[in-house]
Amino acid sequence: MRERSPWEVQKSVLYALFLREVAVRFSAGKLGYFWVIFEPLMQISIFVMVKVLLFGNNSTLDYPVFITLGFIAFNLFRHLVDRSMSAFKANKGLYAYKQVKPIDTLIARLLVEILVTGIIVVVFVGAGFYLGADMNVENLGMLILGFIWLILFSVSFGLLIGILGLFFDSFQKVVKLVLSPLMFVSAIFYSMQDMPQALQEILYYNPLVHFMEMLHANYFYALNDNFVDYSYLLIWTIVPMYISLWLYQKLEKGIISL
Amino acid sequence: MIELQNVTKYFRTTLGKKYILKNSSFTIPENVNVGILGKNGAGKSTLMRMLGKIEFPNEGKIISDKSFSWVMGVGGGFENNMTGRANVKFVCRIYGKSQEEINRSIEFVKEFSELGDYFEMPIRTYSSGMKSRLTFGLSLAFDFDYLLIDETLSVGDARFRKKSKEALMKKIESCNVLLVSHDMGTLRDICDVGIVSHNAKLHFFEDINDAIKMYASINK
Repeated sequence: MRERSPWEVQKSVLYALFLREVAVRFSAGKLGYFWVIFEPLMQISIFVMVKVLLFGNNSTLDYPVFITLGFIAFNLFRHLVDRSMSAFKANKGLYAYKQVKPIDTLIARLLVEILVTGIIVVVFVGAGFYLGADMNVENLGMLILGFIWLILFSVSFGLLIGILGLFFDSFQKVVKLVLSPLMFVSAIFYSMQDMPQALQEILYYNPLVHFMEMLHANYFYALNDNFVDYSYLLIWTIVPMYISLWLYQKLEKGIISL
Repeated sequence: MIELQNVTKYFRTTLGKKYILKNSSFTIPENVNVGILGKNGAGKSTLMRMLGKIEFPNEGKIISDKSFSWVMGVGGGFENNMTGRANVKFVCRIYGKSQEEINRSIEFVKEFSELGDYFEMPIRTYSSGMKSRLTFGLSLAFDFDYLLIDETLSVGDARFRKKSKEALMKKIESCNVLLVSHDMGTLRDICDVGIVSHNAKLHFFEDINDAIKMYASINK
Protein backbone atom coordinates (compact mmCIF):
# COMPACT_ATOMS: atom_id res chain seq x y z
CA MET A 1 0.00 0.00 0.00
CA ARG A 2 1.21 3.52 -0.79
CA GLU A 3 2.80 5.33 2.13
CA ARG A 4 0.85 8.45 3.08
CA SER A 5 2.07 11.42 5.09
CA PRO A 6 0.60 11.85 8.60
CA TRP A 7 -1.25 14.95 7.47
CA GLU A 8 -2.77 13.11 4.48
CA VAL A 9 -3.91 10.34 6.80
CA GLN A 10 -5.45 12.72 9.31
CA LYS A 11 -7.12 14.72 6.57
CA SER A 12 -8.86 11.65 5.17
CA VAL A 13 -9.84 10.51 8.67
CA LEU A 14 -11.30 13.93 9.51
CA TYR A 15 -13.16 14.02 6.22
CA ALA A 16 -14.64 10.55 6.77
CA LEU A 17 -15.59 11.35 10.37
CA PHE A 18 -17.04 14.69 9.35
CA LEU A 19 -19.36 13.07 6.80
CA ARG A 20 -20.33 10.48 9.37
CA GLU A 21 -21.10 13.11 12.00
CA VAL A 22 -23.11 15.19 9.54
CA ALA A 23 -25.22 12.12 8.79
CA VAL A 24 -25.76 11.54 12.52
CA ARG A 25 -26.45 15.16 13.39
CA PHE A 26 -28.97 15.71 10.60
CA SER A 27 -30.74 12.42 10.89
CA ALA A 28 -32.62 12.93 14.18
CA GLY A 29 -35.93 11.59 12.95
CA LYS A 30 -37.02 11.86 9.36
CA LEU A 31 -36.92 15.66 9.30
CA GLY A 32 -33.36 16.12 10.56
CA TYR A 33 -32.53 19.15 8.44
CA PHE A 34 -35.80 20.78 9.38
CA TRP A 35 -35.30 20.38 13.14
CA VAL A 36 -31.81 21.82 13.07
CA ILE A 37 -33.35 25.16 12.04
CA PHE A 38 -36.73 24.82 13.66
CA GLU A 39 -35.55 24.00 17.18
CA PRO A 40 -33.68 27.28 17.79
CA LEU A 41 -36.43 29.17 15.95
CA MET A 42 -39.06 27.84 18.39
CA GLN A 43 -36.87 28.53 21.36
CA ILE A 44 -36.19 32.09 20.29
CA SER A 45 -39.83 32.81 19.36
CA ILE A 46 -41.02 31.65 22.76
CA PHE A 47 -38.56 33.81 24.65
CA VAL A 48 -39.25 36.83 22.46
CA MET A 49 -42.99 36.43 23.04
CA VAL A 50 -42.61 36.06 26.78
CA LYS A 51 -40.35 39.06 26.94
CA VAL A 52 -42.60 41.31 24.84
CA LEU A 53 -45.81 40.18 26.54
CA LEU A 54 -44.46 40.55 30.07
CA PHE A 55 -42.30 43.62 29.78
CA GLY A 56 -43.33 45.25 26.51
CA ASN A 57 -40.94 46.31 23.82
CA ASN A 58 -40.11 49.76 25.12
CA SER A 59 -36.38 49.57 24.92
CA THR A 60 -33.94 51.12 22.49
CA LEU A 61 -32.78 47.60 21.63
CA ASP A 62 -34.24 45.30 19.02
CA TYR A 63 -35.10 42.50 21.45
CA PRO A 64 -35.72 39.71 18.97
CA VAL A 65 -32.22 40.29 17.60
CA PHE A 66 -30.77 40.54 21.09
CA ILE A 67 -32.32 37.23 22.11
CA THR A 68 -31.48 35.53 18.82
CA LEU A 69 -27.82 36.43 19.15
CA GLY A 70 -27.78 35.18 22.72
CA PHE A 71 -29.42 31.89 21.86
CA ILE A 72 -27.25 31.19 18.84
CA ALA A 73 -24.18 31.65 21.02
CA PHE A 74 -25.59 29.68 23.93
CA ASN A 75 -26.74 26.79 21.72
CA LEU A 76 -23.32 26.70 20.13
CA PHE A 77 -21.78 26.40 23.58
CA ARG A 78 -24.27 23.80 24.77
CA HIS A 79 -24.00 21.62 21.70
CA LEU A 80 -20.22 21.85 21.60
CA VAL A 81 -19.89 20.81 25.23
CA ASP A 82 -22.47 18.08 24.83
CA ARG A 83 -20.93 16.69 21.63
CA SER A 84 -17.31 17.04 22.78
CA MET A 85 -17.81 15.23 26.02
CA SER A 86 -19.45 12.23 24.40
CA ALA A 87 -17.18 12.07 21.33
CA PHE A 88 -14.64 9.59 22.71
CA LYS A 89 -17.15 6.96 23.68
CA ALA A 90 -19.54 7.39 20.77
CA ASN A 91 -16.92 6.44 18.19
CA LYS A 92 -15.24 3.65 20.12
CA GLY A 93 -15.91 1.08 17.39
CA LEU A 94 -13.87 3.10 14.92
CA TYR A 95 -10.65 3.00 16.94
CA ALA A 96 -10.26 -0.51 15.49
CA TYR A 97 -8.60 1.35 12.62
CA LYS A 98 -5.28 2.62 13.80
CA GLN A 99 -5.43 5.91 11.92
CA VAL A 100 -8.56 7.03 13.79
CA LYS A 101 -7.46 8.85 16.94
CA PRO A 102 -9.97 9.95 19.58
CA ILE A 103 -9.08 13.62 19.10
CA ASP A 104 -10.12 13.32 15.42
CA THR A 105 -13.65 12.43 16.45
CA LEU A 106 -13.70 15.55 18.60
CA ILE A 107 -12.42 17.79 15.80
CA ALA A 108 -14.97 16.31 13.38
CA ARG A 109 -17.81 17.08 15.78
CA LEU A 110 -16.47 20.59 16.30
CA LEU A 111 -16.53 21.18 12.54
CA VAL A 112 -20.07 19.84 12.26
CA GLU A 113 -21.33 22.13 15.03
CA ILE A 114 -19.68 25.10 13.36
CA LEU A 115 -21.38 24.13 10.10
CA VAL A 116 -24.76 23.84 11.83
CA THR A 117 -24.35 27.20 13.54
CA GLY A 118 -23.23 28.69 10.24
CA ILE A 119 -26.42 27.49 8.55
CA ILE A 120 -28.55 28.84 11.38
CA VAL A 121 -26.78 32.20 11.24
CA VAL A 122 -27.32 32.47 7.49
CA VAL A 123 -31.03 31.67 7.86
CA PHE A 124 -31.54 34.15 10.69
CA VAL A 125 -29.54 36.91 9.05
CA GLY A 126 -31.60 36.44 5.89
CA ALA A 127 -34.81 36.55 7.90
CA GLY A 128 -33.54 39.59 9.80
CA PHE A 129 -32.95 41.59 6.64
CA TYR A 130 -36.27 40.50 5.23
CA LEU A 131 -38.18 41.51 8.35
CA GLY A 132 -36.26 44.75 8.73
CA ALA A 133 -34.67 43.95 12.08
CA ASP A 134 -31.70 45.83 13.48
CA MET A 135 -28.91 44.36 11.35
CA ASN A 136 -26.48 47.18 11.99
CA VAL A 137 -23.52 45.51 13.71
CA GLU A 138 -21.25 47.81 15.69
CA ASN A 139 -18.09 45.75 15.32
CA LEU A 140 -18.36 42.69 13.08
CA GLY A 141 -14.68 41.71 13.46
CA MET A 142 -14.91 41.63 17.24
CA LEU A 143 -18.21 39.79 17.06
CA ILE A 144 -16.63 37.03 14.98
CA LEU A 145 -13.59 36.90 17.27
CA GLY A 146 -15.97 36.62 20.21
CA PHE A 147 -17.58 33.58 18.61
CA ILE A 148 -14.20 31.99 17.91
CA TRP A 149 -13.24 32.54 21.54
CA LEU A 150 -16.52 31.00 22.67
CA ILE A 151 -15.82 27.96 20.46
CA LEU A 152 -12.34 27.49 21.95
CA PHE A 153 -13.74 27.80 25.46
CA SER A 154 -16.58 25.35 24.81
CA VAL A 155 -14.37 22.72 23.21
CA SER A 156 -11.73 22.87 25.94
CA PHE A 157 -14.42 22.61 28.54
CA GLY A 158 -16.14 19.73 26.70
CA LEU A 159 -12.85 17.90 26.17
CA LEU A 160 -12.04 18.19 29.87
CA ILE A 161 -15.44 16.85 30.88
CA GLY A 162 -15.18 14.11 28.25
CA ILE A 163 -11.86 12.91 29.64
CA LEU A 164 -12.99 13.08 33.26
CA GLY A 165 -16.20 11.33 32.23
CA LEU A 166 -14.16 8.34 31.05
CA PHE A 167 -13.23 7.68 34.66
CA PHE A 168 -16.29 8.93 36.52
CA ASP A 169 -19.47 7.65 34.92
CA SER A 170 -21.91 9.99 36.60
CA PHE A 171 -19.86 13.07 35.82
CA GLN A 172 -21.30 13.60 32.34
CA LYS A 173 -24.83 13.11 33.55
CA VAL A 174 -24.40 15.90 36.10
CA VAL A 175 -23.00 18.23 33.46
CA LYS A 176 -25.89 17.44 31.11
CA LEU A 177 -28.33 18.22 33.88
CA VAL A 178 -26.69 21.59 34.50
CA LEU A 179 -26.43 22.65 30.84
CA SER A 180 -30.11 23.46 30.24
CA PRO A 181 -30.88 25.58 33.32
CA LEU A 182 -27.63 27.41 32.63
CA MET A 183 -29.66 29.18 29.95
CA PHE A 184 -31.40 31.28 32.61
CA VAL A 185 -28.26 32.55 34.32
CA SER A 186 -26.20 33.39 31.27
CA ALA A 187 -27.45 36.86 30.28
CA ILE A 188 -28.97 35.55 27.06
CA PHE A 189 -32.31 37.36 27.14
CA TYR A 190 -31.43 40.14 29.53
CA SER A 191 -28.59 42.57 29.92
CA MET A 192 -26.46 42.62 33.06
CA GLN A 193 -26.96 46.38 33.41
CA ASP A 194 -30.70 45.83 33.97
CA MET A 195 -30.15 43.39 36.83
CA PRO A 196 -30.17 44.31 40.52
CA GLN A 197 -26.70 44.55 41.98
CA ALA A 198 -27.04 41.56 44.29
CA LEU A 199 -27.86 39.34 41.33
CA GLN A 200 -25.12 40.86 39.21
CA GLU A 201 -22.52 39.83 41.75
CA ILE A 202 -23.60 36.19 41.59
CA LEU A 203 -24.05 36.01 37.80
CA TYR A 204 -20.63 37.55 37.42
CA TYR A 205 -18.99 34.22 38.26
CA ASN A 206 -20.55 32.56 35.23
CA PRO A 207 -18.09 32.84 32.31
CA LEU A 208 -20.96 32.58 29.83
CA VAL A 209 -22.33 35.87 31.16
CA HIS A 210 -19.09 37.53 30.10
CA PHE A 211 -19.26 35.93 26.67
CA MET A 212 -22.86 37.05 26.14
CA GLU A 213 -22.11 40.59 27.30
CA MET A 214 -19.13 40.70 24.98
CA LEU A 215 -21.13 39.49 21.95
CA HIS A 216 -24.07 41.79 22.70
CA ALA A 217 -21.77 44.76 23.22
CA ASN A 218 -20.08 44.21 19.89
CA TYR A 219 -23.39 43.91 18.08
CA PHE A 220 -25.38 46.80 19.53
CA TYR A 221 -24.28 50.41 19.57
CA ALA A 222 -26.43 50.95 22.66
CA LEU A 223 -24.53 48.40 24.77
CA ASN A 224 -20.99 48.36 26.09
CA ASP A 225 -18.66 45.75 27.53
CA ASN A 226 -18.33 47.26 31.02
CA PHE A 227 -19.31 43.95 32.55
CA VAL A 228 -16.85 41.84 30.60
CA ASP A 229 -13.75 40.73 32.48
CA TYR A 230 -11.46 39.58 29.67
CA SER A 231 -8.80 38.13 31.93
CA TYR A 232 -11.45 36.08 33.73
CA LEU A 233 -12.50 34.64 30.35
CA LEU A 234 -8.90 33.99 29.44
CA ILE A 235 -8.40 31.94 32.61
CA TRP A 236 -11.59 29.99 31.92
CA THR A 237 -10.31 29.19 28.43
CA ILE A 238 -6.62 28.51 28.99
CA VAL A 239 -6.85 26.44 32.17
CA PRO A 240 -9.34 23.84 30.84
CA MET A 241 -7.56 23.77 27.48
CA TYR A 242 -4.16 23.18 29.05
CA ILE A 243 -5.36 20.53 31.51
CA SER A 244 -7.49 18.68 28.97
CA LEU A 245 -4.81 18.59 26.25
CA TRP A 246 -2.22 17.52 28.79
CA LEU A 247 -4.48 14.75 30.05
CA TYR A 248 -5.37 13.76 26.51
CA GLN A 249 -1.82 13.23 25.32
CA LYS A 250 -1.11 11.24 28.49
CA LEU A 251 -4.21 9.09 28.07
CA GLU A 252 -4.67 8.78 24.29
CA LYS A 253 -3.47 5.18 24.12
CA GLY A 254 -5.67 4.24 27.04
CA ILE A 255 -8.72 5.80 25.38
CA ILE A 256 -8.06 3.89 22.15
CA SER A 257 -7.90 0.49 23.83
CA LEU A 258 -10.67 1.26 26.31
CA MET B 1 9.90 -8.62 8.99
CA ILE B 2 8.34 -8.01 12.36
CA GLU B 3 10.57 -7.56 15.36
CA LEU B 4 9.46 -7.63 18.99
CA GLN B 5 11.99 -6.06 21.35
CA ASN B 6 11.59 -6.80 25.07
CA VAL B 7 7.85 -6.46 24.86
CA THR B 8 5.96 -6.52 28.13
CA LYS B 9 2.21 -6.22 28.22
CA TYR B 10 -0.06 -6.47 31.22
CA PHE B 11 -3.54 -5.46 32.21
CA ARG B 12 -4.31 -3.90 35.54
CA THR B 13 -7.10 -5.77 37.22
CA THR B 14 -8.53 -5.61 40.70
CA LEU B 15 -6.37 -8.65 41.48
CA GLY B 16 -3.14 -7.00 40.41
CA LYS B 17 -1.29 -7.01 37.11
CA LYS B 18 -2.15 -9.81 34.70
CA TYR B 19 0.77 -10.42 32.38
CA ILE B 20 0.10 -11.28 28.74
CA LEU B 21 3.73 -10.95 27.73
CA LYS B 22 6.82 -10.69 29.88
CA ASN B 23 9.95 -9.28 28.29
CA SER B 24 9.47 -11.12 25.02
CA SER B 25 11.83 -10.70 22.07
CA PHE B 26 11.81 -12.44 18.73
CA THR B 27 11.66 -11.86 15.01
CA ILE B 28 9.13 -13.07 12.49
CA PRO B 29 10.92 -13.52 9.15
CA GLU B 30 9.79 -12.09 5.81
CA ASN B 31 7.21 -13.70 3.57
CA VAL B 32 5.78 -16.29 5.91
CA ASN B 33 2.23 -16.82 7.07
CA VAL B 34 2.00 -17.00 10.82
CA GLY B 35 -0.40 -19.04 12.90
CA ILE B 36 -0.94 -17.97 16.50
CA LEU B 37 -2.08 -20.57 18.99
CA GLY B 38 -2.86 -20.51 22.66
CA LYS B 39 -5.51 -21.16 25.22
CA ASN B 40 -8.35 -18.70 25.74
CA GLY B 41 -7.04 -15.67 27.58
CA ALA B 42 -3.43 -16.41 26.72
CA GLY B 43 -3.15 -13.08 24.92
CA LYS B 44 -3.49 -14.04 21.27
CA SER B 45 -5.94 -11.27 20.52
CA THR B 46 -3.92 -8.74 22.48
CA LEU B 47 -0.85 -9.65 20.45
CA MET B 48 -2.87 -9.11 17.27
CA ARG B 49 -4.15 -5.78 18.52
CA MET B 50 -0.61 -4.69 19.33
CA LEU B 51 0.52 -5.60 15.82
CA GLY B 52 -2.48 -3.67 14.48
CA LYS B 53 -1.39 -0.68 16.62
CA ILE B 54 -4.60 -0.26 18.57
CA GLU B 55 -3.13 -1.71 21.76
CA PHE B 56 0.28 -0.66 23.02
CA PRO B 57 3.03 -2.53 24.91
CA ASN B 58 3.67 -1.34 28.45
CA GLU B 59 7.38 -1.78 27.82
CA GLY B 60 9.48 -2.56 24.77
CA LYS B 61 8.82 -2.02 21.09
CA ILE B 62 7.32 -3.68 18.07
CA ILE B 63 9.21 -2.69 14.94
CA SER B 64 8.06 -3.31 11.39
CA ASP B 65 8.03 -1.45 8.10
CA LYS B 66 5.08 -3.45 6.79
CA SER B 67 1.48 -2.35 6.56
CA PHE B 68 -1.03 -4.21 8.68
CA SER B 69 -4.75 -4.51 8.22
CA TRP B 70 -7.09 -3.82 11.11
CA VAL B 71 -7.77 -6.82 13.29
CA MET B 72 -10.54 -8.85 11.77
CA GLY B 73 -12.19 -10.20 14.85
CA VAL B 74 -15.54 -11.74 15.60
CA GLY B 75 -16.63 -8.41 17.09
CA GLY B 76 -16.05 -6.66 13.79
CA GLY B 77 -14.55 -3.25 14.45
CA PHE B 78 -17.56 -1.48 13.10
CA GLU B 79 -19.62 1.41 14.33
CA ASN B 80 -22.88 -0.21 15.38
CA ASN B 81 -25.22 2.60 14.39
CA MET B 82 -23.91 2.92 10.85
CA THR B 83 -25.13 0.71 8.03
CA GLY B 84 -22.86 -1.86 6.45
CA ARG B 85 -22.50 0.36 3.43
CA ALA B 86 -21.63 3.43 5.53
CA ASN B 87 -19.00 1.45 7.42
CA VAL B 88 -17.42 0.24 4.19
CA LYS B 89 -17.43 3.78 2.83
CA PHE B 90 -15.91 5.06 6.04
CA VAL B 91 -13.05 2.57 5.98
CA CYS B 92 -12.35 3.26 2.30
CA ARG B 93 -12.22 6.97 3.03
CA ILE B 94 -9.82 6.72 5.96
CA TYR B 95 -7.49 4.70 3.77
CA GLY B 96 -7.62 7.52 1.23
CA LYS B 97 -9.48 5.79 -1.61
CA SER B 98 -10.91 7.94 -4.37
CA GLN B 99 -14.65 8.08 -4.99
CA GLU B 100 -14.31 5.74 -7.95
CA GLU B 101 -12.32 3.20 -5.93
CA ILE B 102 -14.85 3.50 -3.11
CA ASN B 103 -17.73 2.64 -5.42
CA ARG B 104 -15.86 -0.34 -6.76
CA SER B 105 -15.00 -1.54 -3.24
CA ILE B 106 -18.60 -1.17 -2.09
CA GLU B 107 -19.83 -3.29 -4.98
CA PHE B 108 -17.20 -5.91 -4.30
CA VAL B 109 -17.84 -6.11 -0.54
CA LYS B 110 -21.58 -6.20 -1.04
CA GLU B 111 -21.30 -9.09 -3.41
CA PHE B 112 -18.67 -11.03 -1.49
CA SER B 113 -20.29 -10.71 1.94
CA GLU B 114 -23.68 -11.87 0.62
CA LEU B 115 -25.48 -9.70 3.14
CA GLY B 116 -28.30 -8.73 0.79
CA ASP B 117 -30.64 -6.19 2.37
CA TYR B 118 -28.66 -6.23 5.59
CA PHE B 119 -25.93 -4.31 3.79
CA GLU B 120 -28.19 -1.23 4.05
CA MET B 121 -29.01 -1.80 7.72
CA PRO B 122 -27.17 -0.75 10.88
CA ILE B 123 -24.48 -3.13 12.10
CA ARG B 124 -26.30 -3.59 15.42
CA THR B 125 -28.87 -5.70 13.57
CA TYR B 126 -26.14 -8.11 12.37
CA SER B 127 -25.31 -11.48 13.79
CA SER B 128 -21.66 -12.11 14.65
CA GLY B 129 -21.31 -14.25 11.54
CA MET B 130 -22.59 -11.44 9.36
CA LYS B 131 -20.15 -8.99 10.93
CA SER B 132 -17.29 -11.34 10.20
CA ARG B 133 -18.39 -11.71 6.61
CA LEU B 134 -18.44 -7.96 6.22
CA THR B 135 -15.06 -7.36 7.84
CA PHE B 136 -13.48 -10.18 5.87
CA GLY B 137 -14.96 -9.03 2.58
CA LEU B 138 -13.84 -5.50 3.31
CA SER B 139 -10.27 -6.54 4.02
CA LEU B 140 -10.08 -8.23 0.64
CA ALA B 141 -10.70 -4.85 -0.96
CA PHE B 142 -7.35 -3.55 0.31
CA ASP B 143 -3.73 -4.41 -0.32
CA PHE B 144 -1.95 -4.84 2.99
CA ASP B 145 1.37 -6.56 3.62
CA TYR B 146 -0.22 -8.47 6.50
CA LEU B 147 -3.78 -9.42 7.20
CA LEU B 148 -4.58 -9.78 10.89
CA ILE B 149 -7.28 -12.39 11.25
CA ASP B 150 -8.68 -13.28 14.64
CA GLU B 151 -10.92 -16.35 14.39
CA THR B 152 -13.11 -14.88 11.66
CA LEU B 153 -12.64 -17.89 9.40
CA SER B 154 -14.34 -20.19 11.86
CA VAL B 155 -17.70 -18.41 11.89
CA GLY B 156 -20.41 -18.44 9.30
CA ASP B 157 -21.92 -21.45 7.64
CA ALA B 158 -19.90 -24.20 5.98
CA ARG B 159 -20.37 -22.86 2.47
CA PHE B 160 -19.23 -19.36 3.35
CA ARG B 161 -16.31 -20.74 5.35
CA LYS B 162 -15.17 -22.59 2.29
CA LYS B 163 -15.61 -19.55 0.09
CA SER B 164 -13.66 -17.25 2.42
CA LYS B 165 -10.89 -19.79 2.83
CA GLU B 166 -10.55 -19.99 -0.94
CA ALA B 167 -10.56 -16.22 -1.22
CA LEU B 168 -7.91 -16.02 1.47
CA MET B 169 -5.72 -18.63 -0.23
CA LYS B 170 -5.85 -16.51 -3.37
CA LYS B 171 -5.17 -13.31 -1.42
CA ILE B 172 -2.09 -14.66 0.33
CA GLU B 173 -0.37 -15.11 -2.99
CA SER B 174 0.22 -11.35 -2.79
CA CYS B 175 0.31 -10.75 0.95
CA ASN B 176 0.91 -12.52 4.25
CA VAL B 177 -1.37 -13.39 7.06
CA LEU B 178 -1.25 -13.54 10.84
CA LEU B 179 -3.96 -15.92 11.86
CA VAL B 180 -5.43 -16.75 15.24
CA SER B 181 -7.39 -19.95 15.04
CA HIS B 182 -8.41 -23.01 16.99
CA ASP B 183 -8.89 -24.95 13.79
CA MET B 184 -5.73 -26.98 13.22
CA GLY B 185 -6.72 -27.84 9.65
CA THR B 186 -6.94 -24.18 8.67
CA LEU B 187 -3.66 -23.43 10.41
CA ARG B 188 -1.87 -26.24 8.56
CA ASP B 189 -3.33 -25.19 5.21
CA ILE B 190 -2.52 -21.52 5.45
CA CYS B 191 0.38 -20.98 7.85
CA ASP B 192 4.10 -21.73 7.50
CA VAL B 193 5.37 -20.79 10.95
CA GLY B 194 3.68 -20.81 14.34
CA ILE B 195 3.66 -18.92 17.59
CA VAL B 196 2.33 -20.47 20.77
CA SER B 197 1.31 -18.06 23.49
CA HIS B 198 1.61 -19.71 26.88
CA ASN B 199 2.25 -18.46 30.43
CA ALA B 200 3.09 -14.91 29.31
CA LYS B 201 5.75 -16.19 26.90
CA LEU B 202 5.69 -16.51 23.13
CA HIS B 203 7.24 -19.62 21.65
CA PHE B 204 8.25 -19.33 18.03
CA PHE B 205 8.36 -22.38 15.73
CA GLU B 206 9.84 -22.55 12.21
CA ASP B 207 7.27 -25.18 11.35
CA ILE B 208 3.58 -24.80 12.09
CA ASN B 209 3.34 -28.53 12.85
CA ASP B 210 5.74 -28.16 15.78
CA ALA B 211 3.63 -25.32 17.11
CA ILE B 212 0.53 -27.48 16.86
CA LYS B 213 2.37 -30.26 18.75
CA MET B 214 3.27 -27.91 21.59
CA TYR B 215 -0.25 -26.55 21.70
CA ALA B 216 -1.58 -30.10 21.92
CA SER B 217 0.79 -30.88 24.80
CA ILE B 218 -0.22 -27.86 26.89
CA ASN B 219 -3.83 -28.76 26.38
CA LYS B 220 -3.37 -32.22 27.85
